[in-house]
Amino acid sequence: MLDPHDCTGRQPARVRSRLGLLLGASMLVALASACAGLGASAPDEAAGVDAGGSGPGAGGGGGDRASGAKLYGQLCASCHGQLGEGGVGKPIAGWTRGEAELVSIIDARMPTTDPSRCTGACAADVAAYILAELKGGAATCSEAPLLPRRLRLLSRREYEASVRDLLSAPGTSGAGGAGGATGTGGACKLDADCAIESESCVGGACAKDPCNLRTFVFSPGSKTYKSVHVAGDFNGWPATIGGGGWALGYVASKGIWAGKHVVDSGGHQYKLVLDEATWVVDPGNPKKSPDGFGGDNSVLDVACPAEGQPGGQGQPVGLPADLTKGFPVESRPKGFAFDDSADGGLVTSVHVDQYMKAASAIAAQALDGASALVPCQASTADAACAEALVRQLGRRAFRRPLAEPEVARYKALFGAQAAPESGLRVVLEVMLSSPHFLYRSELGEPQPDGTYRLTPYEIAGALSYQFWGTSPDPDLLLAAEQGDLSTPDGIEVQARRLLADPRSRAVAAAFALQWLGVERITGEVKSQLLFPTFEHATGVAMAEETSRFFTHVVFDGSHRLDELFTADYTFVDQPLAAFYGLPAPSGGAGQWGKVSLPPARRAGVLAHGSILGSYAHSDQTSPIRRGVFVRETLLCQPLGTPPPQAGGVPKVDPNATTRERFRQHTDNPVCKTCHQYIDPVGFGFEGFDAVGRPRDTEGGVAIDATGDLTDVERLGAGTHAAFDGLPQLAAALVSSEQLHACFALQYYRFAHGALEGPADACALQGIREAFDKSGHDVQELMVAVTRSPSFWGRK
Amino acid sequence: MTRREGVSRRQILHLLGRSALFLPFLSLLRPRPAGAAGVAKRAIFFYFPDGVAGPSQEGDPSLWHAQGSETDFTLPAQLEPLTAHKGDCVFLNGLSMGPTDSGSHPGGAKKLLTAFDGGNGESIDQMLARTAGAQAPFRHVYLGAAANANNASGDKHISYPSPGQSITPEDNPRQAFEFLFGKGGSGGSSGAAGAGGAAGSAASGPDPVEVSVIDGLLDDMKELQGKLGDTEKSKLALHFESLRQAEKRIKSAGTPPVGAPPSCGSPSLDTAGFTDEQLGDPASFPAILRAQIDLMVLAMQCGLTQVGTIQASIHTSELIMSRFVGSEMYDPSFDMRSHQASHYGAAHDPQKREFTDFVKQGRWWVSQFAYLLDQLKSRPEDGGTMLDNSVVLLCTEVCDGNTHLHDNMPFVLAGGAGGAIKTGRLLSYDGLRHGGLHASIARSMGQMIGSFGDTPQGPLPGLLSG
Repeated sequence: MLDPHDCTGRQPARVRSRLGLLLGASMLVALASACAGLGASAPDEAAGVDAGGSGPGAGGGGGDRASGAKLYGQLCASCHGQLGEGGVGKPIAGWTRGEAELVSIIDARMPTTDPSRCTGACAADVAAYILAELKGGAATCSEAPLLPRRLRLLSRREYEASVRDLLSAPGTSGAGGAGGATGTGGACKLDADCAIESESCVGGACAKDPCNLRTFVFSPGSKTYKSVHVAGDFNGWPATIGGGGWALGYVASKGIWAGKHVVDSGGHQYKLVLDEATWVVDPGNPKKSPDGFGGDNSVLDVACPAEGQPGGQGQPVGLPADLTKGFPVESRPKGFAFDDSADGGLVTSVHVDQYMKAASAIAAQALDGASALVPCQASTADAACAEALVRQLGRRAFRRPLAEPEVARYKALFGAQAAPESGLRVVLEVMLSSPHFLYRSELGEPQPDGTYRLTPYEIAGALSYQFWGTSPDPDLLLAAEQGDLSTPDGIEVQARRLLADPRSRAVAAAFALQWLGVERITGEVKSQLLFPTFEHATGVAMAEETSRFFTHVVFDGSHRLDELFTADYTFVDQPLAAFYGLPAPSGGAGQWGKVSLPPARRAGVLAHGSILGSYAHSDQTSPIRRGVFVRETLLCQPLGTPPPQAGGVPKVDPNATTRERFRQHTDNPVCKTCHQYIDPVGFGFEGFDAVGRPRDTEGGVAIDATGDLTDVERLGAGTHAAFDGLPQLAAALVSSEQLHACFALQYYRFAHGALEGPADACALQGIREAFDKSGHDVQELMVAVTRSPSFWGRK
Repeated sequence: MTRREGVSRRQILHLLGRSALFLPFLSLLRPRPAGAAGVAKRAIFFYFPDGVAGPSQEGDPSLWHAQGSETDFTLPAQLEPLTAHKGDCVFLNGLSMGPTDSGSHPGGAKKLLTAFDGGNGESIDQMLARTAGAQAPFRHVYLGAAANANNASGDKHISYPSPGQSITPEDNPRQAFEFLFGKGGSGGSSGAAGAGGAAGSAASGPDPVEVSVIDGLLDDMKELQGKLGDTEKSKLALHFESLRQAEKRIKSAGTPPVGAPPSCGSPSLDTAGFTDEQLGDPASFPAILRAQIDLMVLAMQCGLTQVGTIQASIHTSELIMSRFVGSEMYDPSFDMRSHQASHYGAAHDPQKREFTDFVKQGRWWVSQFAYLLDQLKSRPEDGGTMLDNSVVLLCTEVCDGNTHLHDNMPFVLAGGAGGAIKTGRLLSYDGLRHGGLHASIARSMGQMIGSFGDTPQGPLPGLLSG
């Protein structure tokens, strides 16, 4: 995010007068150039920097492209775009005016913030790179370069999910693999309110629940319901929730309805009631009995021992809830919003220590006898048992079958220990902190044309992490083994299967929070004097709102990007509804529900507290941050680095609105060069305060939330789109091409763990076309990314 | 739960004290590797954000840079907390980080410890970790206070193990303590102790399981490295090196303590009680930073590491320093953020809240540095104190917080580095590049390099003894 470098232009009087004399000229130049020298009056010259610059320059030809690529990324891309497509600076891709002129311009004037930075060889190298690689448009597609072969370190999110999946799945994950958690049936697909992330439920109850506490789960598939409740002989078959039906809550992160209730021992019959109207059998419960009306009731037999543990086989290994708490946070390159940067994944001593500690804790649990992971009694394990463990766990942990030398090495590790239990422990610990587990391999196999292609197993891994954020499940590994992932169609089949599974929702929600830059709302500190009701829990609820909303739109709603910005509803629980001043959702405390919004808030995610509060100060709103958020996050229009000496945020002034205090930005021509793109957009959010509550006045003055979304398709284009308030701003955004192109780009970055480069231009074009063709269906975008050659090709 | 303001320092200390971490034993204290003077030398880099009240745009004189001759000089307002340590420091004026990205916070942070434009080189702390500090159980310790706030991007961190790629510091003192000293206390070779920590069970000798695990991991790593091209191989180099360090710690477990003070046998630190919420609460920041300083000193005193970096907050900081209870910035009625104050305007205007607060903020950061020096100086060692055998650098990524220029950078060096540095002086360098400072620091740590960074600037004239 651009630093909130608010430029007020306010100076004390004595300063202003001296400034004019002493520093005026040079400072103005410095400020203007820091904004990339792009005045409002700059003519729109496509594919060219300023005319002129006809000097001889630093020689033509011979620049070093590789060096130029690096330099371009550091010095040029923030203004001219990663692909030379333009930004605050002009488009540079597809340069047609010759190398000598390009070199000369770079040498003399670029970067505008410091022309001395790149002269001579630097200018020649950058020019060589631009001419060779930044061709613009479709020209590069026939000879599309590829992403490099690489290793991708699991993020904390991915590590945690992978480990849990490895341990909770049955050990029999070989070819055959029917036992995995696949499909959408099964009453115990997940564990609604028994700490969803840390436990699984077995046979209708969470493993740690008392025997008679049963979990009911209903997967709505692609349908949307207002309510689901359980009615049966245990509660008198009520047709409504009001009549005593057991309401299930909607768990957006998993896309299911769930709830748990105590059921007395004995045999019971029941049904699920959808929207208090449609009676159905519990699709997750295979046991049925005729209901006497031509249909079936579901059957639930509860037989609890007097003082017993809940039974069940293949119980998951109990892991500490904060398994990755001590792991270092991921390093995120500037401009890259996500936690999965392929370049950022460096493993330090702290990482190694944490990996080994976690592996040790996991192994201890796995050997406790409770896990099906270990196919024999640990204390009497023999070499055959060890080998079975190595092959089975290895296949899932390393996302491929182990090579024979690897199996032999692990067997030797087992054999070298004095006791069989220690041997198994060593095998488990090494496997779970091995680089083969910690890094997803994208090394590929050499192809006849000198490029590389990801192996089927690597493709399975890429799919699984993109959609589920975890290791491939047995079906996916089987598809890899059977060669089903060798064609785009074969990949698509699996992509769609993963997408249809509720597990894809958690990753989609993580993507949304990272893309929007609103994870921070959970730690946001606000002024307690001004906003005493904003608590830590409020921020957490706001993030949950955005997660639920995003997954609803993408999986249960229209699937269309536009709905994210135009929805007239959101999801709240009671406290958040009260905080916002919205009607409470139906259901009791702790229940989340969909509520419709008053007209001023009908701007989808833009009116979420997560965004309004994240892009604000602790004590006031920030039209700057909000405007920059729209430009950089939603429109992929980076604004470069703010200039020094720009002045701070204007003080809160009880006699002026925020908008008035920031007026200097657009009154002052120096500030205006950048802030013309920022403030008129950010002002559109002024109807909401720094914690996301609506407001009509500020300091007694009526709020003015009018604005102008200028140059929405490209900075410098000279277009206007006046609006008043968020719903109109949202409408202007969804009618732009750039919003959709940018979203596709952001998802592509997330999926590939990297900022785009020329190697991605062709792929991006194809993906955008597919996204457009689908009517901007987000699921189709997610699938399109996997069909692109960039998904499997490497160099 | 509502976040509370106005918690007194005493309350915080009480809270921390009650739940302090105590480790019962520390069995793996290493013999301290001997430096030239017979005692290990240490290097600590202490960073704070957003510059100082330097020379203003209007030409007001700096409130940071010391004035006077080499041996007779005065400390302006922001350096006042170092008065007691005047004789322990070398005040450095006039060093430049070069024109590239001058005016930029991120540009400055990238150059600060790397002396490479764009952070395209290894940083001095990492270079020393790899060389002078290579024998210690932990080559490098990187501790932060709110230094990962708001998912800070990589350009906010200052330690670069490889060109262009920074790493993230540990912000949680409790985690850092467990990392360095191990969990201990559970008896036996508890799995939870893992490879981490120099503390394990009191049982003698390495744990055979741990030895086998690390051997197995190194085998896997070597096998993987064999498949890679150069780029990815270099990425794995740090991972490989980190495994080698773990190997060393594991295989020398049980080595009896040598040379470490008895206090290292049962280290304790007021670090517990830092919940996630507290870690992000500006009111907790001072206690967290102090805990990290204590931890760094303790780790060095106990011979666990020789090279450390402490990063207090991040550039363009949103830290609300007006919530530091008991500080001179404290004002519960007004939120003043670090970066907001740093843009105090074109002149030193005492009527302006931003300016007066910014001066106080700078002074506060310096007082924290002074506390670090206090701690080093209060620990006797080899006839002197730990400070005599250390080199400590105070730094921030720009000079004046308002102009952001990268000239006349506000560096203060402290400690004698085992006699390599003669302190109690003011040295002025007319625009020499700060890579020379890093080269000097490297030399004071026994690394005889000619220059550091992307300029040929050699060690700073007159800085080192002899």
